[in-house]
Amino acid sequence: MLNEAALRWMNDLSAQGIIITDAELKVLVWNHWLEVRSTHLAADMIGRGLLDVYPELVERGLDKYYKDALAGQVRMLSHRLHIYLLPMSSPEASTSYPLMQQSARIAPLIEGDRVIGTITVIDDVTERAEYEDQLVRLLARERNARKEAETANRTKDEFLATVSHELRTPLNAISGWVQILRKKEFDPAFIANGLEIIERNVKIQVKIIEDILDVSRIVTGKLSLNVTTVDLGPIIEAALESVRLAADAKGIKISRTLDARAGSVSGDPGRLQQVIWNLVSNAIKFTPKGGAIDVRLSRVDSQAEIRVSDNGKGISPEFLPYVFERFRQADSTSARQHSGLGLGLAIVRHLVEMHGGTVHASSEGEGKGATFIVRIPFTAVRVMKESSRQAEQRKGNAEGSQVIERDGSPADDAAQLSGLRLLIVDDEPDAREMLQVMLGQYGIQVKTSASVQEALELLERWKPDVLISDVGMPNEDGYALILRVRALGHDRGGNIPAIALTGYSRLEDRSQLLAAGYQMHLSKPVELARLVNAIMSLSGRAEGEYYSSVE
Amino acid sequence: MQLNERQKDALTELINIAFSRTAASLSELTGHRVVLDVPNVEIYPVSELTARLAGFLPAELASVHQVFTGTLTGDALLLLNYEGAVMLTNLLTDDALFSQRLNESAREVLTEVGNILLNACLGVFGNMLEVRVSFSVPRLHLETLGSLVKSLIIDKEELRYALVIYTAFRLRDSSISGFLVIALSVVSLDRLIQEIEAWEDRQGEYDGGKQSN
Repeated sequence: MLNEAALRWMNDLSAQGIIITDAELKVLVWNHWLEVRSTHLAADMIGRGLLDVYPELVERGLDKYYKDALAGQVRMLSHRLHIYLLPMSSPEASTSYPLMQQSARIAPLIEGDRVIGTITVIDDVTERAEYEDQLVRLLARERNARKEAETANRTKDEFLATVSHELRTPLNAISGWVQILRKKEFDPAFIANGLEIIERNVKIQVKIIEDILDVSRIVTGKLSLNVTTVDLGPIIEAALESVRLAADAKGIKISRTLDARAGSVSGDPGRLQQVIWNLVSNAIKFTPKGGAIDVRLSRVDSQAEIRVSDNGKGISPEFLPYVFERFRQADSTSARQHSGLGLGLAIVRHLVEMHGGTVHASSEGEGKGATFIVRIPFTAVRVMKESSRQAEQRKGNAEGSQVIERDGSPADDAAQLSGLRLLIVDDEPDAREMLQVMLGQYGIQVKTSASVQEALELLERWKPDVLISDVGMPNEDGYALILRVRALGHDRGGNIPAIALTGYSRLEDRSQLLAAGYQMHLSKPVELARLVNAIMSLSGRAEGEYYSSVE
Repeated sequence: MQLNERQKDALTELINIAFSRTAASLSELTGHRVVLDVPNVEIYPVSELTARLAGFLPAELASVHQVFTGTLTGDALLLLNYEGAVMLTNLLTDDALFSQRLNESAREVLTEVGNILLNACLGVFGNMLEVRVSFSVPRLHLETLGSLVKSLIIDKEELRYALVIYTAFRLRDSSISGFLVIALSVVSLDRLIQEIEAWEDRQGEYDGGKQSN
């Protein structure tokens, strides 16, 4: 019945395993494919009972499949339910599938009315199984990623809503008070109070915008540190000083224990102060009236440890793992009690990590206060030379003044700046006038110009000491101005120190401006003290050398 | 053509035997307890199948199709809607990651499940009714109910009937419902009903009364 020639070709050519048995399940055909992959040659197999050679078929209940075939039924063996029919190796074997993965079909061999045996066809599906596994895993991963992206998106939406709210709150106060003050004449005390409120809200708003920009720099990896040797004690004092009013307003007592041996770390003094300021402000925000905050600086092994504890609201165990995440606040509902963007702690963590340190939050739970611990490694070597300015700051710090900000009064500075010639270029009349009035009180001679052309003429004719220019202007902008100024050459005033004053405060704007020829970049709105500082250092009237990185 | 109550009871009992064998095989194979609900049997002309089942199988469906020949000749099919088929294979294979579609391995599993169920039913007919049936290789198709029913009617001039057996696979707290359809010529159906009645009579003689489910 079986054609010998056909059988031989099936034996040699088939890309599947083929077993033919008689009605007693004795092997008649064991093809070449099986010889290569199993441990048995056809010569060993032919004439032997399949279930005798592979007793595990019986153990696994697969003898029933053969009995069904002998009863005339076709049986399928899917890979997923059986993994394999016979243990074999595969050329596609891998670490995840060391054995050949198989699917198989067992069918009766029928002659006339009688079942005379069985035929089994085996496929090697190892490669397919692996591919399917990968695909399923990939799709699951993609699904998870999408879910995460959706969550992140929602968090950002909530954040945007918070930002708008937070920006509007100080604006309301500012615009309200401006309207009140405009209405009629008030006594000076009332006006001073209004101006104070406006000023305070401007500061709040500036802080919000700075936080957003910091986060943007963190995200784009463009936040950089101006590293020097820093004594943490004075930095902490300065940070505490700047939150004193806020603490006093809530009747919160801040105690401090600063270990002088904590020594110095290597870092960016402005950024480290920002870290402490953020932690302490956070503590004030979440501590009720009359509460207490404790700040400790100590030495732990080779690290300086700053510990800020409060007896306030505390952090729930569920939220604790997320406190340092961007855009996260424990309560993001619109009715939440605490203002703020939820960026402060994210910035803290990033800054601390940039300093090679760690920050850690702990809380016994809600209502039980919270403790934040920052650890920053000590500097191995002290920076050898200090500029006189830094030395002065260090002295000043001991008395509680700030590190970066100069604390000179207009009267002190006026003596130094008196007679200085300053050229201001800005297309906005209000901006020109404001700077003229503000700087005029320091005895600076100010001339203003609304265009680049006019500015160049004034520069040559009047020979100012310092140039301050806006960047975004119609026709020719601040870049065009500085290029044309620098092209004038030394004799015609082309070397004049120049400050770019702009609303563009991203890092790349700054480096472009510095590359174009400005010595310094300040972002609007600029604080008077900072501007005066900049003018003093650029004009050479300050004691120290100028520092081009202050923003 | 209609089945009387007695015929219907007997047919239901036979299919019940096949279903419990299938459930036992699947439970053993997967290590999960698989239950097949007590089936509900109806009989319709094949041409009415679309109208009768469209509500249950509105879109693409997965079918395992096995032709049988012998004393009885016809088509046996397991019909599941696509989502049900995906779910059933996922539940049976216990993979850590569930697939959202019927990949080749899942189609194999489905073919095997259909094969077990269809063989069990036809096998019970063969053994109990003492009729001879030969089985073809089961094939899996993904298509709509309309095109499937068309393929059952095409080239077959004689009027055909379908035994439609509604059932549900229950495992791991889930339930997947589907249909077992056995399409037969009038001649085969007549023969089946005769054999069922004969079997019923034999049961009565052995037990001295009618069995209940």
